[in-house]
Amino acid sequence: MDKNDDSIIGRRIGRRGLLATALTGAGGTALAAALPAVLAAGASRPALAQATQITVADPGGPYSPAFRKAFYDPFEQATGIKVINVAREAEPTAQFKAIVETRSYSWDVCTLTLSARDILAHQNLLEPLDFAAADAPGLMPDALTGQWMGTDVYSTILGYRTDKFPSNPPQSWADFWNVEKFPGRRSLRKNPIDTLEQALLADGVPLDKLYPLDVERAFKSLDRIRPHIAAWWTGGAQSTQLIQSGEVDMIALWNARAQAAIDGGAPVRISWNQGLYSIEGWGIPRGNPRADAARKFIKFCADPQRQAVFTEVLAYGPTNLKAYDAIPKERAQALPTFPENLKTMTIAREDWWGANRSKMSERFNAWILG
Amino acid sequence: MSAVLLHGSAEGGLRQRLRFGPLWLAAPGIAFLAVFFLYPVLRLLGLSVQDADTGAWTGEHYARIVDTGVYFRVLMGTFRIAGLTALFSLLLGYPLAYWLAQLPERRRGTMVLAVMVPFWTSYLVKTFAWMVILGRTGVIGGILSAGGLPRPEMLHNEFGVMVGMVHAMLPLAVLTMLPVMTGIDRRLVQAAETLGAAPGHAFWMVYFQLSLPGVAAAGLLTFISSLGFFIVPALLGGPQQTMLAQLIIIQIQEMLNWAFAGALATFMLTAALVTCWVYDRVFGLSTLSGEGGRRKKGGGPLRKAGQGVLSVLAAATAGAARLTQPILGERGHGRLPAIYSTLVLVFLVAPAVVVVPIAFTSSPFLDFPPPGYSLKWFEVYFGSDLWLGATLRSFGVAFATAVLATLVAGLAALALARSTSRWRGAIFALFLAPMIVPRIVIAVGLFYLFAQIGLVATDLGLVIGHTVLALPFAFVAIAAVVKGHDWRLDQAAATLGANRVQTLMRVTVPLIRGGLVAAFLFAFITSFDELTVAIFVSGGVKTTLPKQMWDDMILQLNPTLAAVSVVVFVIVMALLLIAERLRRSGR
Repeated sequence: MDKNDDSIIGRRIGRRGLLATALTGAGGTALAAALPAVLAAGASRPALAQATQITVADPGGPYSPAFRKAFYDPFEQATGIKVINVAREAEPTAQFKAIVETRSYSWDVCTLTLSARDILAHQNLLEPLDFAAADAPGLMPDALTGQWMGTDVYSTILGYRTDKFPSNPPQSWADFWNVEKFPGRRSLRKNPIDTLEQALLADGVPLDKLYPLDVERAFKSLDRIRPHIAAWWTGGAQSTQLIQSGEVDMIALWNARAQAAIDGGAPVRISWNQGLYSIEGWGIPRGNPRADAARKFIKFCADPQRQAVFTEVLAYGPTNLKAYDAIPKERAQALPTFPENLKTMTIAREDWWGANRSKMSERFNAWILG
Repeated sequence: MSAVLLHGSAEGGLRQRLRFGPLWLAAPGIAFLAVFFLYPVLRLLGLSVQDADTGAWTGEHYARIVDTGVYFRVLMGTFRIAGLTALFSLLLGYPLAYWLAQLPERRRGTMVLAVMVPFWTSYLVKTFAWMVILGRTGVIGGILSAGGLPRPEMLHNEFGVMVGMVHAMLPLAVLTMLPVMTGIDRRLVQAAETLGAAPGHAFWMVYFQLSLPGVAAAGLLTFISSLGFFIVPALLGGPQQTMLAQLIIIQIQEMLNWAFAGALATFMLTAALVTCWVYDRVFGLSTLSGEGGRRKKGGGPLRKAGQGVLSVLAAATAGAARLTQPILGERGHGRLPAIYSTLVLVFLVAPAVVVVPIAFTSSPFLDFPPPGYSLKWFEVYFGSDLWLGATLRSFGVAFATAVLATLVAGLAALALARSTSRWRGAIFALFLAPMIVPRIVIAVGLFYLFAQIGLVATDLGLVIGHTVLALPFAFVAIAAVVKGHDWRLDQAAATLGANRVQTLMRVTVPLIRGGLVAAFLFAFITSFDELTVAIFVSGGVKTTLPKQMWDDMILQLNPTLAAVSVVVFVIVMALLLIAERLRRSGR
């Protein structure tokens, strides 16, 4: 995909949208589109005063109350800027692109995964942040780029049933692949991302030498485990259900999904060893008229005290490691960025996936059909 | 039409236009679909033949589909699943509809409510209920292993997918066939028997033939709407059960490669249209899209072959009846349809039976049987303005959608039934098209359109989007009934002095009421259970019930969903019973 793939549709709509506005002189879209012009005209003070409210798109569910307590309410108190939160889709990139291209700006800030960030950045759909690492001591280096700041870390780990493996549980992907020593039903994600890495780790590739992935070797390794996979999961809620109900005995899944089963009292444990972590964070749709308030909000979310608060509800790791000063030890151990956990894992390299994902998806889909 | 106008002289064009005749009734629907469906979707699909940089024509995306081969295999798998779903929905649904049709009207009304039970449960909840029932540690596995039998593999394979898909499609099939069957004069079967036909023969050669429009409509509806399914196969199926819609969504949402997504959608659309055409040609069953003329001609080789098949079936039935008669006796025979129908109804209601106790569970999971009972999930629901607001909005939007879709589709169905224009086929295809195009494509297309005209995040935008999706279902449901309508009754009314409006309101509408009610219900439920358009068009601000459920299950599927399903179910049943009461007392 080229960065000029910013689609003929968008350009056409952009022009026609403005034309329609000029003709009718009405509509929220029009107002939003006209605002940057006002800002550029030097009326910065009244413009700032206008941004008394921003709309933040978070993943919904338990995120909303957790982020409200950790970020939204304290930010309102500190700045007087009201935060409206809406739940975004699991993959917000399509809507994000549509928002920028139609200049409708129904969102001012949105949570993005690393892959979403890279795809959007590639198509020039993100607003610069104007935020330096020195502004947030303690922030993980991977958690900040010019257009995006990470707020939480999630990890793909190995979850297993303690009733099936009371002693000597599987502790690595090699164990997961070892069907003689660890008999039981298994589940992997029906997606090449993370799965190819797991296949290589199972085949003996060291954690720090994973990338660039040896694709041939990965698929050979997958060939060996395929007959033993009872279920290939596609959705996060499904992965929780599979391990919680005992449908499978071990599974590769996201740590918070496993934690949901554990918190609900299911006999499940997490093996952090050889986990692959990734980061989720904030981005601003390019050309946003309320970008200044949005930037202020994002900077606010780097604060370690604020990040510590969301970990009370969400089993995700703070990106500002100083937050651990304020997190109780017991909870800290269940979080991906807890130092003991973090050192056994590696980050899933988005640059490799960004370049190879399309091809890998096709190959994986063909492979899985048999 | 413009082509026609350009073609002939001004006079010829005028004549052509006049000959458009009753088709003008379809004009509102055509205009609606042109603006809110064709334009936004074609604009998106158009990206697939354009080079992203230069805007020049390119076939690279289509070449990629051909070169890789995987998309073709997935398409074949998608068709297989959709075909099997349609087949089993008809096999299970036909006897049930037959049995329902001969019940006294009052009893039929009650039984139809049971058929509709799965309709009112969100498809997310239904699918998870099946996981609870079919899973290795699930209800059936538990019963079998208690009896010393091995736990069968019923999940993550084709069996699991079929159970989930057929369960989702069966009400649609039954409710499409039922109005056609209740419209059949059963005295015709009696007449055949009086004239010496064996019961089996009378059924196949008379009743079955008369019910074919309903069967064809139900088959087409279930097949085509199954093509777009992907959540059920993803959750209940294995790796073989990959659906093309899923790959299109990944291209749109994860890869942000809309050009390739457009190519895939075009690929699927073409395949679906070709199938419709072949289906129509080979089976001659497509009584909906212009078969009328063909049947009158009759005597074609295909028709003869069809008659031959029916004769064989009739003979086989008669033979089977002779064999089972001594075992079951006359009374046993008479009860067979009722027993069969009861079993099918049990299948339809099973997930709801699981969902109700789960709503009262004390566990944070969808455990069955629940480890303890509590009302906390109802407290979550009733204590939340978000949930209550979403429920209210969903009911309002669904009601508006149902009214709009029934009106527009009803006019179009009436228009097409009476028209002999050569545009019929094209208009028919247009009304079916929103069912074939993946919803995500419609949703993205509509978002761009709505952003231009200020309809993003409005209830009106939601109603329009949902009406686009609901029109095919409403249209086919009405068309199937209108097909059997005797237009001489309208002529009689006109002869007796009724004007057109009076004829429509006092003769036609009461006679096709069954189809209108089915259309209204289909449209209502399409809107009520719709997620994709709601997510895009609402921009996340105005939430509907399915969207709120979706948001809630992002991290964990908790029993609030079951509690919501129970509340919705109680409200809907109360409304339906009140409506039924009012209708009866009004007579």
